[in-house]
Amino acid sequence: MDKRIRIYMTGVGGQGTLTATTLLARVALDAGVSVVAGEVHGMAQRGGVVESVVLLGGWRAPKLDHGEADIVLGFEPLETLRGLPYLRAGGAVFSNEDKMPPVGVSMGKETYPEMDIIKEKVRAVAGRVHYLHCRELGMRAGSIQAGNAALLGALCTSGLLPFDEKTLEAGIYKFLPAKLVESNIKAMALGVDAVRAV
Amino acid sequence: MSHPLLSGAQGEQHLLLGNEAIVRGALEAGVNVIACYPGTPSSEVPDTFYKLGGHDRYKMEYSVNEKVAMEVAAGAALGGAMSLVTMKHVGMNVAADPLFTSAYIGLPGGMVVLSADDPGCHSSQNEQDNRHYARAAGLPCFEPASAQEAKDMTRYAFRVARKLGQPVMLRTTTRLNHLRGSVLFDQLPQPAELVPWAKNPMHFVPVPAVARVRHKELEKNMSAARELAESGEWTKVRGKGRIGLISCGIARAYLADALYAGGWEENVKVMELGMTWPLPEKALAEFLRSCEKVLVVEEGAALLENELRILAQRLGIAVEITGKNDVLTLYGEYSTTSVTRALAGFLDCPCPITEGRHSEAGLPNRPPNLCPGCSHRSVYYAVRQVFGDEAVYSSDIGCYTLGMLPPLRMADFLVCMGSSVSAGSGFAWASGKPVVAFIGDSTFFHSGMTGLANAVYNKHDILLVILDNGTTAMTGHQPNPGMTQSVLGDGALHLDIEAVVRAFGVTEVAKVKAYNLKQVTSALEDFKAKRGVRVLITEEPCVLYARRALKKVPPQVAEVVEQGADALRCLEDLACPAFYRDGETIAIDAALCSGCMVCLQVAPKAIKARKR
Repeated sequence: MDKRIRIYMTGVGGQGTLTATTLLARVALDAGVSVVAGEVHGMAQRGGVVESVVLLGGWRAPKLDHGEADIVLGFEPLETLRGLPYLRAGGAVFSNEDKMPPVGVSMGKETYPEMDIIKEKVRAVAGRVHYLHCRELGMRAGSIQAGNAALLGALCTSGLLPFDEKTLEAGIYKFLPAKLVESNIKAMALGVDAVRAV
Repeated sequence: MSHPLLSGAQGEQHLLLGNEAIVRGALEAGVNVIACYPGTPSSEVPDTFYKLGGHDRYKMEYSVNEKVAMEVAAGAALGGAMSLVTMKHVGMNVAADPLFTSAYIGLPGGMVVLSADDPGCHSSQNEQDNRHYARAAGLPCFEPASAQEAKDMTRYAFRVARKLGQPVMLRTTTRLNHLRGSVLFDQLPQPAELVPWAKNPMHFVPVPAVARVRHKELEKNMSAARELAESGEWTKVRGKGRIGLISCGIARAYLADALYAGGWEENVKVMELGMTWPLPEKALAEFLRSCEKVLVVEEGAALLENELRILAQRLGIAVEITGKNDVLTLYGEYSTTSVTRALAGFLDCPCPITEGRHSEAGLPNRPPNLCPGCSHRSVYYAVRQVFGDEAVYSSDIGCYTLGMLPPLRMADFLVCMGSSVSAGSGFAWASGKPVVAFIGDSTFFHSGMTGLANAVYNKHDILLVILDNGTTAMTGHQPNPGMTQSVLGDGALHLDIEAVVRAFGVTEVAKVKAYNLKQVTSALEDFKAKRGVRVLITEEPCVLYARRALKKVPPQVAEVVEQGADALRCLEDLACPAFYRDGETIAIDAALCSGCMVCLQVAPKAIKARKR
């Protein structure tokens, strides 16, 4: 039986978190890995928190509780911090570190936590951590949205999954619309490099 | 390119959303007719049928409400079609009348009713458990727990519906609707042959003499359904020993993961039920007899648990049955963690979950909010300026419910779809206070019209604001009768809201552009001075819909040109999410600004337009 892995993904509505979730799940299925993904639609509108899960290797429950995720994939740093309780002690975190301030912060009524504080809190729980400037990597690759592929690239090259970035690359060609392929392949490669450079 | 749901051959494997798997299952059964009213978490089922556009295979419609959808689907099944009707759990309340009677008269073509329940209230006003309806109306009921089962059970449900001529319920919960999993396809046959119609009023017209006979027929059919349940096709038993676990619905997934994580799989015997009404009593009795004690793991109400208690008592089986307790509650959703805790207690083992993980306190939230450029914000701003806290605000179901949040605070009470008008009428009648009711275009056609007819007929005193954004926004921009003809295309006909309102006999009617604050305010002030039924229709396409579907993007954005009291007031009173504060400076994020230019009217000196 495959090794069982539970991944918790979190981001902000409109960022493409669910598209990334579906891509990762499809890539896993193509690699012959048993996969279940879970998401919540509906009132999670633009600007709200969007959470999803990808379960590999035979897990069945499409919803995670605190302490159950082996990996947290954060598409926005505040959401990485909010999602941190889902990570089991010693798990891995892959996070974007480009901020998207919520409305309360924009209105001047709430304060966005300092990046150093976020990193300190993540370090206290996680056994392995990678931060990427997804917005910048995405822009270098051709579009901000492609920054998600950088994060997926980082995850897939980490050796934590039963497949690697080559499977992801094949999946990007196979499952994304033709006009998005080039920027996503580039962004993925930038994400892979970022992890290898560590 | 043809969609895999329509072109995928037997033996292909695809990753499908639970709701897409339901669509494939219905297609594999040969579904002929689909009717629905959209509602999270059910919406992707009809939306997928709509997008596939496979109209040589099936006919589908967005009905104006769930009762109508149920009646259309029931009529289609009387006409010999295999029909599917889809709705969210609270929609079943609207559709209950035709549902109960359909079960009496029988539907020869076969009708499957999808009830998508929402434990945890992700997107709903309650977490009612619609398995109650299966029991109350007399419906065989199936509850899938994986994408594969969603497809397979849907197909099987249609077979049962046609075989028994009886409506069948497919009951899902949010997690099933919105999970993704691999689905192995079966053959896609041609659509089902229609069952020939033969006139027989003594069967299909439930006057009392007929209804009394049909009630007995229904019970006979439910006995036949029980035999199908006994066949064991959807019952899985595994494990060994004298300690039993019985589960159904998505709780089966939590149970399986909890047993795996706890390393308890070898110590227990598990029975998973896929067909959950009528129950396979013989199989259950055998299982109960083989156990010393049984824990029932079911999300929602204690229905299965109580049925098992009754069964054990009736058959004199000495087994200890437990279910709901302080861990496995009737509230919200279960989780692998909650089931693990319950199992540790039940098995008298140490609980493997030792670390307590807590949510990070004090983080800035991201509450759902009206979008930048949402026309509801503009209307709500004007209403607050004119009525303040003097009026009581009767809200309804849609994006505009989000107007309850400060600073707009435009919802004081809400009951259900369409209640803004009728509950608002009752409130004004009893209290004598001025009531302003809000309803969207789709909800108006859903069940606001009857309330308005009643308000006119019974001479109620209410100001109804119809927030017409030209689409069913909250659930994902499904068509409704108010949509413009060009968008509806050839398959549907546009209904004019103002004409409907005037036809009901409302004489105080005004129609304004929602973004035009002067127009909206002046109409409100005029109506404020009057009594009786008054209707203000505010028009502006949903900003997301305008951008995505109509490809309309205004060439200008707003910009703060003068800091100070005006800009601050605009930020605080309008609360548009495109505004932000950078220290003491107020600014507008051009990427978020939709170009609605409502803020220019609120603070003309402080804010100006510039090219995007």
